[in-house]
Amino acid sequence: MGHIKVTRRSMRPEEYTALRFGWLKRYVLENLYEIDSLSIRDARQINENEYEYYSDDYRQLKKGDMYFTPDGTSFIKGDVKIPAELWEKELWLYLKTAAEIVVKVNGKYVGGVDPNRDRILLSPYIDSETLHFEMQGYNRSKPDDERNPESLSVRGCRQVFEGAYLCTVNHAVLDLVYDFEVLLDIAGSELFNEDYRAFLNRELNNAMNCIDFDCEPITGIDEAKSYIENVIYSNTDYKGNGDVALVAHSHLDLAYYWRRIHTVQKNLRTVLLQLRLMDRYPEYKYTHTQAYTYETLEKYYPEVFDELKKRVSEGRFEPVGAMYVEPDCNIPSAESLIRQCLYGQNYFREKFGKTVNNCWLPDVFGNSWILPQILKKSRVDYFVSNKMSTWNDTNRFPHNNFIWRGIDGSEVGACVPPTHFITWNMPSQIQENWEAYQDKNIGGQTMSMFGYGDGGSGVTEEMLEMMKRFEKLSVMPKTEHVGGSEFLEKNLKDNDKLAKWDGELYLEMHRGTFTTKSVLKQYNRSLEFKLREAEIISVLRAATGIRYPKEVLTKCYKKLLINQFHDILPGSHINPVYKDAVKDYEWIDKKLDLILNVENTDKYFNSLNFKRTAVTFIEDEKGFNQRHGKKGFWTVPALPAMASGKLIDKTTTDSSWIKIGDKIETPYYIISFGDDGSILSLYDKELNREWVNGEFNKLKVYDDKPGVYDAWDILPNYKEKELGFELASPLKLLSKNSEVAELTVLVKIGESKWKRIIRLFKQSKGIEVENIVDWQEKHKLVKAQFDCNVLTREAVCDLSAGFIKRETHKNTSWQQARFEVCHHKWCDLAETGGGVALINEGKYGVGFGESSMSLSLLRATERPDPYSDLGFHNFCYLIMPHAGDCVSAEINKTAYEYNVPLVHSEVSCANTFDGLYLEAMKQSEKDETVIVRLSEQDGTRGVLKFPKPVKVMNMLEDVLYETDTLEYKPFEIITIGI
Amino acid sequence: MKDYIENVIKPKIEGDGGEVEFESYVNGELTLVFRGECSKCLILERCVKWIKAEIKRDKGENVKIYAIRKKPFFWDS
Repeated sequence: MGHIKVTRRSMRPEEYTALRFGWLKRYVLENLYEIDSLSIRDARQINENEYEYYSDDYRQLKKGDMYFTPDGTSFIKGDVKIPAELWEKELWLYLKTAAEIVVKVNGKYVGGVDPNRDRILLSPYIDSETLHFEMQGYNRSKPDDERNPESLSVRGCRQVFEGAYLCTVNHAVLDLVYDFEVLLDIAGSELFNEDYRAFLNRELNNAMNCIDFDCEPITGIDEAKSYIENVIYSNTDYKGNGDVALVAHSHLDLAYYWRRIHTVQKNLRTVLLQLRLMDRYPEYKYTHTQAYTYETLEKYYPEVFDELKKRVSEGRFEPVGAMYVEPDCNIPSAESLIRQCLYGQNYFREKFGKTVNNCWLPDVFGNSWILPQILKKSRVDYFVSNKMSTWNDTNRFPHNNFIWRGIDGSEVGACVPPTHFITWNMPSQIQENWEAYQDKNIGGQTMSMFGYGDGGSGVTEEMLEMMKRFEKLSVMPKTEHVGGSEFLEKNLKDNDKLAKWDGELYLEMHRGTFTTKSVLKQYNRSLEFKLREAEIISVLRAATGIRYPKEVLTKCYKKLLINQFHDILPGSHINPVYKDAVKDYEWIDKKLDLILNVENTDKYFNSLNFKRTAVTFIEDEKGFNQRHGKKGFWTVPALPAMASGKLIDKTTTDSSWIKIGDKIETPYYIISFGDDGSILSLYDKELNREWVNGEFNKLKVYDDKPGVYDAWDILPNYKEKELGFELASPLKLLSKNSEVAELTVLVKIGESKWKRIIRLFKQSKGIEVENIVDWQEKHKLVKAQFDCNVLTREAVCDLSAGFIKRETHKNTSWQQARFEVCHHKWCDLAETGGGVALINEGKYGVGFGESSMSLSLLRATERPDPYSDLGFHNFCYLIMPHAGDCVSAEINKTAYEYNVPLVHSEVSCANTFDGLYLEAMKQSEKDETVIVRLSEQDGTRGVLKFPKPVKVMNMLEDVLYETDTLEYKPFEIITIGI
Repeated sequence: MKDYIENVIKPKIEGDGGEVEFESYVNGELTLVFRGECSKCLILERCVKWIKAEIKRDKGENVKIYAIRKKPFFWDS
């Protein structure tokens, strides 16, 4: 008979130690004096620092009362006279709560309580015997720290008030509690030496035996402390190894399971609590990201901001992450990422006189290959992001400290810490970090971030007390508490042993975020280009004396950047966050319309620095055609680069260019359509070849049930269950004229109606598909499949500032993991003679197979937002077969034309910067210099000559040098001032 | 009642990642469907009591609430 695991047994010594540890903690607080004069007013936050109240006045708040409401903010106040027995003693407030409460006493911010901390030191901040408490709390029913069991146990919208007390702390007991806490963690972790753990279990039991719990008060505290010092801490027989840098940090999602308006207070509490720890622990230093959060603190809590500024000047409160927010780094364009750095760094420079040398994105869902260049040119030398090490579902990312080489060859020092960005600084977490660290011999120290996040408000006293004890523990890795920059400079700077990663930092997870909440992606794309348009036109108008609307444009840009936060644009948030984002987008759109629509002219301006040659839809109420619900006409604008001109609707009813029968013949193709709008054959008359080899422009509906990470993930096996659709109305001719012929088809997917309008053009090889959808599904993924008659092993994807080639085969686990990737305006499959490009106006997710592309169109996820993507959608994509490769076919230019609107304006610009793409033209942040951003996107070299010397700048608009001749290299982004 | 639940109560519940839908209101008996985070909330009954009190305060009606939890498939174990 085999071994039977014994499950029923008496208490083991280590369990008895743990039990007594619980008893010991009861003796930390002494002289508890209940504050029975509190009153509360329930409210709900409706805007930044704006509330609607449930009652006109406060009600009494007694122990046992219910408090907090769904999505509720509560205001608690009360006066208490310090009892005589507590005078002259170190006074604390004790309040155990599930909410995030910030506390003011006699008008001063003294600290906060939350599920991770339940007492606040009052003495240093009070100077009277009467205390006037003012508290503001936000009850998050969905705490972020699901890893913290105590936090999890108190979740829920309605809470029971457990009372508030003035008290003192028995520091001898507290000190011993921390000793036991650190040692019990080691004793319970299999990551440490087995013999040492046996030693610990034995000796902790002995230490606990020093305490007599039957006495009141308990005795033996000093003896237990001495025993631990003399027997456990002094033991050096067991040697650990490793070198771990401990960096204090609190991750803060601007919006997620809460709205952005709540983050103002979440951030206040986080900052305040770290400042209060700094008051007590002189060696403590803390890192904090996102210029936006500093801005809100400065705006609403200037007194706390002043304290922060002082600590920044001392080098203890460290702004990290050069960006304005922590954006998604897949979907935003190059120019958006540049602005993240520009506005972020400008703020840090202005307020603190600091240029931040690192990009700090612990939670971001993968990072584009264009980033190193943007960082380097924004005075950022280092990059930090945790996700690839802890979340990859297929491959272990092979480095933690390394060099990241970007698309243009720019390099930054990179750190992908081996463990999560939220830890609570326990020995087992530090040991785990060291063991997972892959660059032990070459990378120097490994980084371990500690501190709760998302309103959990960072580091606690407990974490710092743990840290004091690490050096007494020979079994632990060597540890050092350092700042963010300090770590990066010490370990990555001039470290020529570091390995190099040349390519994107693809996260093998969260692949659904390229597609979830389609409307946000579409808005983001269109507004990125509309901002481009508004800035360029405003600069050119300024040359004629019209004031450049810098303030409004900056506001618009900042709002766009905020909504690129990594839980907003990717779609991983609750429904109110979605509504806020749409409201913001509508606001930006209106503001930009006000800027753009001031000229009373019938001319259109081509803001592209090349001649427009692609057929384009021009909105016009008298037009024959309709697109995106608006009337207009199709034409080839033929407007020269950076010039304006009139566009005349020459559409007639003459449709002789197209022959419609069983097959459809246009000047470019002979096409056979399926009833559902899929293309069975696309024969290219110019190139004498067929483009279709299977399903082409075919809607594919898949069962999409990734599980808990619903909004985030698409599973690798998503194709296993195809659901199909019902043909409600087969393909038929909708209209035809001298420029375009439209065919339409209606399909039903479950309860949803999906109308497709397929457009064939007289003057373009492009075939446009407009999708008008009433989407009412759950857990379905819809893609458009394109099996191309093209033999290739690589797909080319636009990154907005260059392209990336991705393998289409599945030879290794690395290619297998990349079954869904992010692209920008276009992707392309081509062989030597030609290929097929897909150009979109806001679709970012795409999968590649052998000679196939599948463009992700819509998802229908349920968590965190049960209404995600439900409702109306209207989006287009363009199928563009071409000769040669995507560069020689100028697919990128076509994609620009497809996305950049033509707006009414009579401005023009003589300098067209031939050979490069004009990404932006704006007024300098510092003065009235015109900033021009150009990017090489085809992978070529060249020389740019200017009639007069220009200022060559970095992306922060600092002048580097002047020249009239500028050499550029592949994928380079250039900033010049004129 | 439907309008009240959808326009007054629902936005508040949504703010916490929860979801409430009006199902029916017959003879003082109000049936609500809870989704999202509410569907697995350990103390949902406290919230239901609060909704009842809010209805009493805002509409002056005493209602009996039946709460139906509809968990998404991944929590429905």
